[in-house]
Amino acid sequence: MLPQEIRENIQRLIEAAERPREQVINVFYILQKHYGYFSDEAVREAAALLKMTPLEVEEMATFYDFLYREPVGKFVIQVCDGVVCWMFHENSIFDYLCQKLQVCAGQTTADGLFTVLPTACIGFCDRAPAMLINGVFYGPLTPAKVDEIIAQLRSEHCDLVICK
Amino acid sequence: MPQLIIDRREIEVPAGTKVIEAAARLGIIIPRFCYHPALGSVGACRVCAVKFLEGPVKGVEMSCMTAAQDGMVVSTTHPEAMEFRRYVIEWLMLHHPHDCPVCDEGGHCLLQDETVSGGHGLRRYLGLKRTYRDQYLGAFVQHEMNRCIHCWRCRRFYQDFAGYRDYGVMQIGNRTYFGRFADGPLESPFAGNLIDLCPTGVLTDKPARFKGRRWDLERAPSLCLHCSLGCNITGSARYREMIRVEGRLNEAVNGYFICDRGRFGFAYANHPERARTPRLDGQEVTWEEACRTAAHRLTRISREYGPGAIAVWGSTRSSLATLGVLQRLCREQGWLGPQFFNSPSRERKVKAAISRLDAGVAVSLADLEKADFLLVAGADPVNEAPMLALGLRQAWRRGATVVVLDPRPVHLPLEFEHLPVPPGGIDLCLDLLVRAAVSHSATEGLLPEAAAAFFNNLSCEYPGDQPLQDRLVSLGMKLKESKNPVIVCGLDIVRESTVVLAADHSRLLRAAKDRAGLFYLLPGPNAFGAGLLSLAGEPSSPSYADMLAAAEQGRIKALVMMETDPFRTFAGQPQFLAALDRLEFLLVLDYLPTPLTDRVQFFLPTTTVFEEEPSGWVNQEGRCQQAAPIYVGGRPISQEGAGSHPPRVFLAGIPGGEPQPGGQTLAALGVALKGTGAPLYLEELDTWLAELNPVFAPLLESKVTHPGVRLLPEARGDYAFSHPNKATLRDVPDDHLELLLVDWTFGTEELSGYAPPTQEVEQPPRLTMQSRDALRLGLGPGDRVSLALGGESITLDLEIVENMASGMMVLPRHRQLAGQKFPEGPILVPLQNIHKV
Repeated sequence: MLPQEIRENIQRLIEAAERPREQVINVFYILQKHYGYFSDEAVREAAALLKMTPLEVEEMATFYDFLYREPVGKFVIQVCDGVVCWMFHENSIFDYLCQKLQVCAGQTTADGLFTVLPTACIGFCDRAPAMLINGVFYGPLTPAKVDEIIAQLRSEHCDLVICK
Repeated sequence: MPQLIIDRREIEVPAGTKVIEAAARLGIIIPRFCYHPALGSVGACRVCAVKFLEGPVKGVEMSCMTAAQDGMVVSTTHPEAMEFRRYVIEWLMLHHPHDCPVCDEGGHCLLQDETVSGGHGLRRYLGLKRTYRDQYLGAFVQHEMNRCIHCWRCRRFYQDFAGYRDYGVMQIGNRTYFGRFADGPLESPFAGNLIDLCPTGVLTDKPARFKGRRWDLERAPSLCLHCSLGCNITGSARYREMIRVEGRLNEAVNGYFICDRGRFGFAYANHPERARTPRLDGQEVTWEEACRTAAHRLTRISREYGPGAIAVWGSTRSSLATLGVLQRLCREQGWLGPQFFNSPSRERKVKAAISRLDAGVAVSLADLEKADFLLVAGADPVNEAPMLALGLRQAWRRGATVVVLDPRPVHLPLEFEHLPVPPGGIDLCLDLLVRAAVSHSATEGLLPEAAAAFFNNLSCEYPGDQPLQDRLVSLGMKLKESKNPVIVCGLDIVRESTVVLAADHSRLLRAAKDRAGLFYLLPGPNAFGAGLLSLAGEPSSPSYADMLAAAEQGRIKALVMMETDPFRTFAGQPQFLAALDRLEFLLVLDYLPTPLTDRVQFFLPTTTVFEEEPSGWVNQEGRCQQAAPIYVGGRPISQEGAGSHPPRVFLAGIPGGEPQPGGQTLAALGVALKGTGAPLYLEELDTWLAELNPVFAPLLESKVTHPGVRLLPEARGDYAFSHPNKATLRDVPDDHLELLLVDWTFGTEELSGYAPPTQEVEQPPRLTMQSRDALRLGLGPGDRVSLALGGESITLDLEIVENMASGMMVLPRHRQLAGQKFPEGPILVPLQNIHKV
C-alpha cells in the first residue's frame, strides 16, 4: 500500500500539470524511491494516478535505463556502454566490475549491496571510461580506482539517491 | 501533382504520395513490413529501400518515408538497393525461429515472401537466438513472440488506429516485446485485425489454428452479415467447413478492417445441429417431393379458405434474391405478406429511414471518416455496428467533433461529448443543437422556404435542464463552424420521430452549409433491401402479431417462414405457440438451427451466404454488394467422420449437400404452384424488382461489381420536411423505470450467437442503471436483482454506472435471455418490480 502522504504528493504534482502525462517520469521516480524499484504494484499505482493503463506505464517504464522493474541492490552501478568509453576502457571496466563483485550484467550481489548494469552514453566522454553509482559520477576509471570506490562504499553509509 | 519515373516508367501521383505507394500504382510492389496503406509510414523496418538516381533525393532511401516529387528517377532493382535490402532481411531473420512447418502463417507469410524477394537464403549467424515468453491473448488471437521482426504494425493499429490501450510495445532494442501488461484477453473488439496485419506468425487466428494452409483453402470474396454495414470479407473453407474470415479492402465501406464479431461469427454455417435435408411430416424427402407437396397443400388451403389464409414471414438476414422472389410469390398468389420485420415500429422506422435517403445526403462509412462534425443520435456504435466506431475514430483523429445523444452508457475509443438523454429527449437535443448552428443562416434569410419553415418550428428549450441546454447551444456553435457535418442515427432505441428528424436536420444543415450527410444504422444485413420491398408493397403487410391473432381466430391457416426465428426476435412467444397449433400448414425454410427447425413438420433447408450461389445484399447506405460463394456446401467432413475418416461409401451427391439457396427454393415452389406458365423468378428478378421500385433500376444497368451499386434515388431539390409536433420530452413516471433492450457486440446478434468462438467471449447478461436510480431502489454495486416483467421474472447481475440517462435501465437482448419475455414498445417497469436478491 502506498502511504497516503506520498499519494497526496503525487496527486498535487499531477494536478499542477497542464496534462497529467507531463509528470509521468517524476511520478515514476517518486514511486521507485518508495518501493526501492519500480514494482508491479508501483506500475498499477502509477497507472491509476495518471489515468493510464498498466500497459502504457509499462511501455514507458521499460524504455528507460534508470527505472528498475526488478529489485536492485543498495548501489546501482551503471557502467557507460558508449563508444568513447569502449575506446578508453582499461581491460574492460565492466568485466572487471562483474568479476570483482561475482555477478553478471543486471545481477545483484549476494549481500544485496551492488547491482551492475550497462547503460547508454552518459555524456562524460571527456572523462572516459565512466560510470554512475546511484546517479553519482565516477571517472576516469582504472581497476585500482574501482577497487577503491567499492571498498569505500562497502564501509560507508550512503543514502539511496537514484538518479535525482 | 508530382511526376516521377520508377523503373523507367512514368507516373503522376497526388502530392504527398509516398514513393512506395506510387510504385504500387504501377504494379511494382516494393518489399515492406512496417508500411501499410491504412497505417501509413513509420520507417521502422528498412526493407523498402530503393535507389534514387535523379531528382531532389539521391542515393538509397526508404521509399515509404520519401514523398514523391517532380523529377525523381527511382530504381527498385538497382544493385545497391538490392544489396541493402538483402542485408536488412538477413538481420531481420537473425532471431527468427525458422519454424515455418508448424507456423500457421506459413503459406501467406509476408516474411517468407520478403525473405525470398530479398535474396536471403543462407544463414550466417551462429549465435544463440533471442527468445520470449508468449502470452494468452484471449479466444481469438494466438501469440508467438519469437517470430517477431518488430515492424510495429500491431501496436500502431491497436493503439493509434483503433484507440484501445491494453496492447502495446515494451522493452527496447533486441528485447522489444509486443503484448499486454499481463496475460489476458485483448479488450478491443477489433483485435482480430492484428492477425491480418501481422506480417509474420506472431499473431495468428486462434479458432482457425492448424486447420489448413492458404493453398488448401477454398477462398472467395464475401460479405459480413453480422450488422447492417456490409463490410467486405474474404471467407475460407476447407473440407466443407468454413474455417476463417479475413477483412477485404473496400475503400467505400470498411477499408481494410473488420470487427471481431464479423471475423469470428461465421461458424453458424458449420453448426452440427443445422438441419440439412428437406423434411415432410417428420420424414426426410427429396426436393421434388417436398416442392410438390408444399405446392399441393398451399393450393388446397388457398382454394378452401382463399389466398389470404396463407401468411408469409421473412427477415432481414435473407439475400436480395430470396426477399425478391418471396415478395413476387406473395403478389402472384395473393398471400398475406411478406412481413420482413418483427415489430411494426421497427418496420415503420426502417421505411422512414430509407425513404429519406438519397444520393445527395447518404454517406458511406468512408465518407463519414472525412466528416468534421458527427452528431450521433441514439446509436451505440461499438455494440450495434462496431466498424462505425472505428470510422468515428478516424474522423476524430482528423479533428472532427463527435457528439453522442444516447441514454446508454456509450463507450467509444475516442474523446467525445456524451449527452445521456432519454430516448424522448433526443429529438429536443437535435432541435436545439441544429437550431443553434443554423440560426444565423435563418436570420439572414439564406435558407430556402421549406427549410426556413422547418427551422421556425424547431424547439428552442430543453425543459427542466438549463445546463444541458447551454451545453447543446455551445456544441451547436461548434456545429456552426463545421463544413462537413454528418448525422448518424441508430434505429434501435429511438422514437420513430427521431428517425425522421435526423433526416430533416441533415437537410436543414445541407441547406445552410451546402454539405451534410446522413448515416443510419439498420436492423439486419439486408434491412435496406427488405425496406425497399416493403415500401413498394404498400399497403404494408400486417405485422407478425396481427397475423398471429388472425391465425388464432382461424382466419390464417398456413404460415410460410423464410429464414426467420420468432423465438429469438419476436416478443409474443406464448401467442406464437398457441397460434402454431391452430395452423393447418407451417412451412419453415432456414439455414440456422433455430428452435423451430426441430418442431415443425415441414422444413426446407436453405444455404448460408457462403454456399452454392452468389447473393446480393444491400447495406444501410443502400449499397448493393455481391457475396461470391466460397464452397459448394454440405456437412463438414469433421462432422461426417466424427473426427475420424469419413464413411467409405459411394454417393452421387455431397453428404448434407441438400440445402438450396432460398431464392432458388422459392422459385421452384413458384413453378410447382403455377405449373408451366410460371415466370423465370430468378432470371427476371432484377427486371421485376425495377418495375416494383425504380430504385432497383441500377441493378439492370450494370452488374453488381466492387465496390457495389448504390440503390438510392437522385438528390431531390424538393425535399418535403416533416412537420412533427413540436418535440416534447416524454418523461417516465416517477415510480417507473424505462427498460431499454439493447445490442451488445457479442451475445445479442443472431448469427454469431450460433458460433462457438463468439459464444466464448460473450458476457453474461446484466442489468445496467444509473447510480441515482440504484440509490432510489436501495441497490448497490455487485448486487443481484430480480426483474419482474409480464408475470415472469429474471435474475441478473446489476451494473451501476454514471454515464447514462436516469430513469432508465439497460438490458441486452441476450441469447441467454429468451426474447419472448419482453413486451413490445417502450417498456415501463414499476419500481416495485425490481428487487434485490
